[in-house]
Order: sequence, then structure tokens, then C-alpha cells
Amino acid sequence: MNVRVRTAAAAVAAGALLAGCSGGDAPPASSVGGGAGTDQVLSIGMLYDVPDWDPAMAHVGHNLQPYQVAYDSLLLREPDGELSPMLATEWNYDDSRTVLTLELRDDVTFSDGAAFDADAVVANFEHFKGANGRQAAQLTNYAGAVAVDADTVEVTLTRPDPAFTYFLSQAAGLMGSPDTLEGDDIGSVPVGSGPYVMDTAQSVAGSQYVFTAREDYWNPDLQKFGGVTLRLLADVTARANALISGQVNATLVEPASIAQLEGAGLTLVESQVDWMGLMLLDRDGTMEPGLADVRVRQAVNHALDREALLATLQLGHGVVTSQPFGEDSGAFDPELDDYYPYDPERARELLTEAGYADGVTLTLPSMPLYETTFAVLSQQLGEVGITLEPVAVPSQDYVTEITSGKYTSAFYGLFQAEAWVAINQFVSTDSLYNVFDTTTPELDTLLDEVANAADEEASDAAAVEVNRYVVENAWTAPLYRRSQIYFTDTSVTVLPQVQSAVPSIYNFSPAA
Amino acid sequence: MIAFTLRRLGAGVVLLVVISMLAYALLFASGTNVARNILGEFATEDQVLLKAQELGLDRPLAERYLDWAGAAVRGDLGRSWFGSQSVTDSILSRLPVTLVLITTAIVLTGLLALVIGVAAAVRRGWIDRALQAVAVVCDAIPGFVIALLLVIALAIQAGVFPATSTIGPGAPPSAWVLSLTLPVVALVLNAVASSAQQVRSAVIKQYERDSVRTLRSRGISEREILLTYVLRGASPAALTVLSLQFIGMLGGVVIIESIVALPGIGSLAVPATQQGDVPVVMGVVIYTVVVVVVVNLLVDLLNGWLNPKVRVS
Repeated sequence: MNVRVRTAAAAVAAGALLAGCSGGDAPPASSVGGGAGTDQVLSIGMLYDVPDWDPAMAHVGHNLQPYQVAYDSLLLREPDGELSPMLATEWNYDDSRTVLTLELRDDVTFSDGAAFDADAVVANFEHFKGANGRQAAQLTNYAGAVAVDADTVEVTLTRPDPAFTYFLSQAAGLMGSPDTLEGDDIGSVPVGSGPYVMDTAQSVAGSQYVFTAREDYWNPDLQKFGGVTLRLLADVTARANALISGQVNATLVEPASIAQLEGAGLTLVESQVDWMGLMLLDRDGTMEPGLADVRVRQAVNHALDREALLATLQLGHGVVTSQPFGEDSGAFDPELDDYYPYDPERARELLTEAGYADGVTLTLPSMPLYETTFAVLSQQLGEVGITLEPVAVPSQDYVTEITSGKYTSAFYGLFQAEAWVAINQFVSTDSLYNVFDTTTPELDTLLDEVANAADEEASDAAAVEVNRYVVENAWTAPLYRRSQIYFTDTSVTVLPQVQSAVPSIYNFSPAA
Repeated sequence: MIAFTLRRLGAGVVLLVVISMLAYALLFASGTNVARNILGEFATEDQVLLKAQELGLDRPLAERYLDWAGAAVRGDLGRSWFGSQSVTDSILSRLPVTLVLITTAIVLTGLLALVIGVAAAVRRGWIDRALQAVAVVCDAIPGFVIALLLVIALAIQAGVFPATSTIGPGAPPSAWVLSLTLPVVALVLNAVASSAQQVRSAVIKQYERDSVRTLRSRGISEREILLTYVLRGASPAALTVLSLQFIGMLGGVVIIESIVALPGIGSLAVPATQQGDVPVVMGVVIYTVVVVVVVNLLVDLLNGWLNPKVRVS
């Protein structure tokens, strides 16, 4: 399609929308009155359904955004990752870093009229812990909480958890009305203190959820729209079409849709959330002795032409890197991004030095989604004598296959979390993706420093050393930080949210 | 006729039981992975074990199947493992969309196939040749590709129809009509040519019968021969083709529903299958088998009514 046709198509689509031709009671996508203000409804296309509105069933990333529409969290995570006051105004650890005191707002009520207070916070923690929901892991170190007075809560942890306050800005921090938490309805109708309340008459489970602005919401700064409509559009084509035709204001698509959507006058907001690459799991050489030698693992890294892979697999949308920790994690070191430049000659040398001139074999699970990736990786690694041996597994079993101990390596997109969260994702012996529980005394010391540091700064400084250790010892072979391709129409603006697949609901504003 | 109906119903029930057992066994072939899928990569082993126990994954398969079947017989298909919605509610809220979509498509397919097929059989000539050519093309292009092209042309560029469904609570009939038109057209285009061809062959076969020659020799008009004898004789074959098309559409509609975001059974089945949400997948399987059994039964009854010989076979 040339530009003129695309422009014409966009004009036709916009005209149809203005004329009210978009059919039936389509979610009112653009501003009702044509200008910014509290009448404007924000309509978002979601990839995944919200199968349960109970805050204890909340998820992260894609599935945190819808909960934020209805529920406030104890802490607010700013777009850049800083934690700000929200329902909690202050938070402090004791010297052991296992007792956290939260000071709470005293002017907040839930949408059913119940008051928000210390007892409500304790009830929510207990409910979250007991429900064993989709982010149960966030309260793994939670031991208990007591209401000191109406607006003070003391939380006790079983051990220091540098990520705990971060979790209070995520699923574990969402506060539901204590009167509804144990009831049957909370799964279908959220009752929080958040900026919007569900219009149950207009909402259909699995299709669309309609919310209206709550009157007298305690923080008008966070309530920028007259309502929010969440439409489930699981198919990427459906999302792109809904955006072009004005049925939604904002949604996530894939790199292949960029040209079409930019041509239609929509705005791209790019940010990086996942790193894609190989995890070299069998670092003790239980299955492939070669992998026990750091030089072999480094050879894998040098054999990868990351720029070419990014161009081929993501149409160039992302940033190549050799480090598995993200820019906003606290563990980031810009120098590590090009620690392993593309150098097949060096890769061969390293293999020869290690005594594996004849090559090594990496076995790993494969699913249909990664077929192209594996074809390109196989070719690049093959050039230096490293054989890739993918084993097809069902997509829904992919993670459990990675962690089954049957493979020496794995390819995946890992969420670039806060340092301590990332460490517990693939570095520590507690983490799922440290499949063979490999570690060294040197690494153990570094991890202890991160966990028990006196403050965030010291913790981050130790985390940078962990990152350096992991990169130097080539635990992984990252390729790139993949871009999230988020688009909005001209009626809204949005800031990306660090470490989140989609922006927080607070990051959207009506266009000026 | 009653004995015939009961026999067919009995066969349907047996089919339902066998398929539900097979589906249950297949779904659990991947073991307890679903507990990890629900809780994510940060959950501890203890949390995963606890979740597996909550879901009953630690119990023997046969025992779990009997529990599930016992509840299903009482009309309780359980709750989604990933959420709180009851499976029966989920299916009932989506069934109307899918059934309206497929039923409209099959009625239109039947009417068009009848007209085109009879025209091709009676007139032959260019209609016949065109049908042969179009049938090959339409059969080769999947319905969802046709749907995609229709959406690009008529929704995105021309703006006549909504690009994704606007069916919702309290939606006016116009929203249903506008949202369902493109998917219906896609299904019909995909199915009509091959159905028309089957009608054509059945009609031609009837014309070749000795009885038709006898009727002609007695001076009965061509019109009466066609309407009274030929169509009646050709109808069992045509009905069977349509019932097969209907069953085929149950599968084809899955992708079409997600392209235009129709809140039908397909958009429930796809994510449930990907996640391994056993109660939901089982619910969808049961619903599909029931629909297939009912459609087959209706076709058998119609055929039996049209042709008494079928009843004794």
C-alpha cells in the first residue's frame, strides 16, 4: 500500500468513526466531546484476558494494567521505576531489614464504602498469601503483618528481600475491599479503591470490561479519563485493525505491523522489556562436559552476530547486548553490552584452547514460535563448530521442559526485572532457570551482599558485580533486548513503563 | 421412527463418553506442568506442589476423570484453573455468537449451493464450468484468509463494517448484523462452491435414473420431475454435505473469531488450549461433541423422513 492510499484509508476510517458508523455500541474509543478532559474514554486493546478480578490472582506486565484500573496499590511505581507513595505514604525497614513499617493514608475508601486502613492491608496480605495465586511468589518471604494502629502496618519477613517494596507496587500491593475478598463475586467484579469502577452491565467476561471514573477519587492526578474500556483482542491482526479503525486508542503489536500503523498516522512508543538469548544451563558439564569450560561458553557468545540476528528476527527493533540484566534493573553496566563482540575466529580459538576443536553440542527444547530463530542460530554457531540440537516440545510445556534437567541449554525471552528479582529468576540456586543449581563460593558471596546490603545503593552496587560475574563466566549468551511495539492514536499520549510489557494505566493521558 | 431416534441418541451418548475419556487422558499427558504455568517462573517448588494438590493433579487419572464426569452429568463443568468463571457460564455466554454465526452461514450456504448446484446440473454449459473452477479455488483458500481480506477491504479501507466485533450487552441488532456479516460471508464463500458441486453431482445422478426416464416418457414436465422427484432423491446427499460443512465450520470459525474478535467459543478455546486449562478445554470438547451429535441426528431424522428406507438400515 502506498502512502496516499494508506492516508486515504485512515481518513476513511476516521470519517466513519466520527460519523458514528463504527457500528452498534462499540466502546466509545475517542473523546466524546472531541477535547481532553474527564469525559474522554480510554480504550485499550489487551492481549490476555483477566480470568479472575480477585487481586490475589493479579499478574505482572500485561495482566497488571487491568487491575490498576480498579485497584490502588500500596506503592506507586513511576514510569522510570522509582517507587512513590500511593496508599502507603512512607515505608521503612528496621536494621535487620526483615521488619517493614508502612504508614497509610487515612482518607481512602473502597468503592463499596469500606474504609481503607491497617486492618484492610493485613487482610489483603493474608488473602494474597492464602490464595496461592498467579504471583504467589511475591509473598514467598512474607511471615506476617500486624496493624500497629489504624494507619500503620508492620510487615515481618522471613529473610531480607530487596524486591519486597517493589512487589508492593505490583500484584502483592493491590488492595481490595476486605469485605469482599473472601466472597464469591470478587472474581468477576473487582472492588478496590482505584480510579475506576466496573460497569458490570456493559462488561462481558472474556470480551470487554467497561469502567467509569469513580467520583471523589482521592487522587485526581491519577484519574485522567472519564472511563476506561479494556477490549480483549488476542490476535495481533485484530489489534492492528481495531487501532487503525479507531476502535481502540492504544495497544501492543509486533514489528511487522509498524509500517502499516505509522502509515495510518498512529504513534509508536518503543521500550525494552525482555532480553532474548541462550541460557547455558549445564555449567558443571553434567551432560555436555564442554560446557563446564568457561572458554566454550565464551565461544558461544563470540560466535553470535547479534546485529544480524536483531535485523532478521526483530526487524531491527531492539538493542543488541551481551548482558542479561536490564538497563533499569540496578545491576546494569553499559560496558557489558558489547563484552562479546562478534568474532568467529576468536570463538574457534577458544574452543581449541579448551580442547573442543571438534566442537560441542547444545541440546535445547524448541517450540514452533522459535523455528526461524533456531535456524539462524544453528547456522551462526555451526560456523565455529558448535552444534545446536533442538528438540520439539509442546508450547504450553516449554518452561517446564527448560527446567526438566534434560537439556544443556535453552533459548527464551526473559523479563528484565529488578536485580534481586532477576537474580532469583536465573542466577541463585533458588531460581527456576538455574536448572542444575550451579554456583561458586565467589558468586555466593556476591549474592549475599546484594540480599543483605544496608541500602538500595549498596545492594545495586553488589548486583552490578553479580552481573559482571555472570557475563564474564558466560552463564548466558544474550542476543538483544527486544522492543515492545506499543501504539497509540492521536487522542492519547503514553509513557512506557520500565520492566513492564505494557504501560501502567497511570501513564496514559489525554492528548493536549 | 422412535426406535430409530433412540438408537441414534444412544450412539451419540456412547460417542460423548468415549471422546471425553480420550480428551481427558490426552490433556493430562503433559502431567503437572500446568501448576507451574499458573504460578509463573518465580514460584517456589512448595507453591507449585500446593497448587498441583489444589487442582487434584496428584490423584490418579481415572479417579479425577470419574469426579469430573460425575459433576458434568449433573451439569457442572467446573471452573477455569486460571480464573474464577464457571465453565458452563463461559460456554453459555459464547455459544449464541458462534451458533448464530455458523447457522446463518450454513443456511446461506445451503440455499446458494442448491441454486447454483441445480443450475449447473440442469443447464450445464458455462455455469457448470465456472462452478468447477471456482470450487477448486474456494476450497483451497482457508476461510480465515478470506475473512482477513474482507476485513482489509470492507472494514479498514471502506469503513463499511467494524474491523472487530461490536457485539456486547444491550447491543442493537444492527451491531450483530454488522459484526457478523464479514465472518458469515467468509464462511459461505469458503463452503458454498464445494457444496454446490456435491448438489450438482447428486442431481445429475438422479437424472440418470431409469425412473426419471420413465417419468419423461409419460410426458411429465421437466419442472415437475425436478421439483418432485429429482430434488427429493438428491436431498440426502446434499444434507449430508451440509452437515459435514457445519462440522467443518466449528473448526474453521476458531481463527475467524479471533481475527474479528468475536466473543464466541473459538476465542475461549484457543487460549485455554495454549495454557492447558483442562476444565475449559473439556467444556469446549463436550459442547462440540454435543453439537455434532445433534446436527447428525437432525440430518438423520430429516433423511429418514425423506427416505423411509434409511430408517430400517
